Amino acid sequence: MSSTLLPEERALDAHVRTNSSKSKRYGFFPGCVAKESCKELFNSTMLLADKLGIELVELTAASCCGASVLNDTNRDVARVLNARTYAQAEALGLDDVITICSTCTGHMRAANKELRESEEHMAQANAILGKFGANYKGGVTVRHLLWLLIDDIGLDKLQSMVVRPLNGLKVAPFYGCHIIRPESVNGWESARHPHSLEDVIVALGGEAVDYAGKTRCCGFHVQLEKDGIASSMVGQNMRMAKDNGAEAVITPCPLCHLALDGYQADAAARWGRTDLPVFHLPQLVAYALGVSPEKLGLNKHLIDPREVMVSRDLIN
Amino acid sequence: MAKIKLDIFRFDEATDTIPHRDEVTVDLPETTTVLDALEYAKAEVDGSISFRRSCRSAICGSCSMSIGGVTSLACKTSCGSAMEEDGSVKIDPMPNFQPMKDLVVHMDPFWDKYARLKPYLQPNDADSAHQTERRVSPDDMKKLVDVANCIMCATCYSLCPVVSVDPAFAGPAAIAYAYRFIEDVRDGQRKERIAQISEDYLWLCAHCYACSYCPKHVDPNDRIIDVKRAAIKDRVMMNERGPRHALVVAKTIKQTGMLAETEVIQGTVGRFNIRGLLKVAPLGARMALKGKLPPPFLKPVPKVDEIRTIFDALEAPVR
Repeated sequence: MSSTLLPEERALDAHVRTNSSKSKRYGFFPGCVAKESCKELFNSTMLLADKLGIELVELTAASCCGASVLNDTNRDVARVLNARTYAQAEALGLDDVITICSTCTGHMRAANKELRESEEHMAQANAILGKFGANYKGGVTVRHLLWLLIDDIGLDKLQSMVVRPLNGLKVAPFYGCHIIRPESVNGWESARHPHSLEDVIVALGGEAVDYAGKTRCCGFHVQLEKDGIASSMVGQNMRMAKDNGAEAVITPCPLCHLALDGYQADAAARWGRTDLPVFHLPQLVAYALGVSPEKLGLNKHLIDPREVMVSRDLIN
Repeated sequence: MAKIKLDIFRFDEATDTIPHRDEVTVDLPETTTVLDALEYAKAEVDGSISFRRSCRSAICGSCSMSIGGVTSLACKTSCGSAMEEDGSVKIDPMPNFQPMKDLVVHMDPFWDKYARLKPYLQPNDADSAHQTERRVSPDDMKKLVDVANCIMCATCYSLCPVVSVDPAFAGPAAIAYAYRFIEDVRDGQRKERIAQISEDYLWLCAHCYACSYCPKHVDPNDRIIDVKRAAIKDRVMMNERGPRHALVVAKTIKQTGMLAETEVIQGTVGRFNIRGLLKVAPLGARMALKGKLPPPFLKPVPKVDEIRTIFDALEAPVR
């Protein structure tokens, strides 16, 4: 029945037969926004994976993680949807699922924690998955690409792979709530005082800018609920970054990217112009590791980062 | 013993126009709580340092302040845990409040929002009609116990990013306390309470989990979600953008497996709400110029029937 196989099933099938791939292989959950309005994030992630020598096997039949909104309608549906995604990964022998979105990270980890810690939740999920022949055993771990960079590649190795250092570019980290909070779900680093993004910025040859806004909310999830809320939250945070000397921002979350890149213009009336270009995490890492900047979709950003990059002799 | 440098925000609204900072060095072990260090500084160094405190045991909720940039109870936070590299502990009044004197703030907006809830039981029937006590099953009471632990320290309120940009938002503590009455089987004002908290911008919660730093593990973040679900279940103020947003997200995931950005924007703002759509149009136009608009329609992911099976099995509401 090869015609009904998913692309990832065909690819893994080919690998097993030819034993062609010796690189480390991960399940890959890109999330909705990287496939819709932030395609540049998806593309630069795949280019970065090539440079890192890892293989990201996209779970093409996976559903949305629930995006923190699905919980508002029903207590169980996001958990069972994520159980289906984990079952797909498990069936492919991929116990490591990598995300590129803070919200996906937090909500998929929350669902996984509930499934693994409660027999009742696991039984409920598997009763429903059983209707279409799927089953989740609880063996999947969800991590963000940021954590993979630090845990699996290592900061020293990453630094040694840099061929285009950032020349001291002053970059403000913006974490995105769901990769750090709640600590009981994420817990990979301190939610109050995280430093993984700073460590990556420094490894790439940049200078990390400290500011109180780095762990705060971008307002993305309420941008439509009331006019001006998200832009105010963006303005407040970007003002702090700018005042502390930032020339650019880096974020591991495409939702934060949409808000920070999109709303700085609207926030200018209340918070003053900030115009900080915002990089997706894999864009800046891929750039430093030698991926051609033309391939990173920098022209897709509303605040064009190329001007700042020229001023630091990063591009011509 | 260690030298701990308390870096303290100083301000007196009666005499000062701008705040300044004082550094007070105390010789105490790093395990000393910030509150004990402040008490020591006040007793031995500078009697004019002002802060609220009472129980010293994380029960009264008086001593919330910003310690190392994060609001915490001073009686529950050790100096060592909040120390900067230079050995200093940065202490400020709670953000999102007007400072009164040093670490003491005006709490009125917080209490006002709490008072709006009518935070007492309002049963449907008069007490005189009851010959026995009003009974609550252990299961029903279990739902309320965690929230009842709230000590109204305002840690969550001071950390809330929505409060910081829109003072009309009820804030996490008030919504969690609304839940305490909404889910109380003895109360007769469930719908009215849901409507009241919805008017106080229940749906403006940004899902940021800053209130997960609650020192009493009330976790207002989860209770806010519970109140939203109650609003959808009881169909209260369903034409507001919040419930519309939640239900259209659910709908697009059920239809396509993905959160379809274009349909979610239209469904939340209202397809025929021309004025509302015009307000989001400028950003849309800027994105279009960069070739960044999400696709108008999404092709369902493979095996989308499985996703629909999950929604149907759980009777999950969609628009």
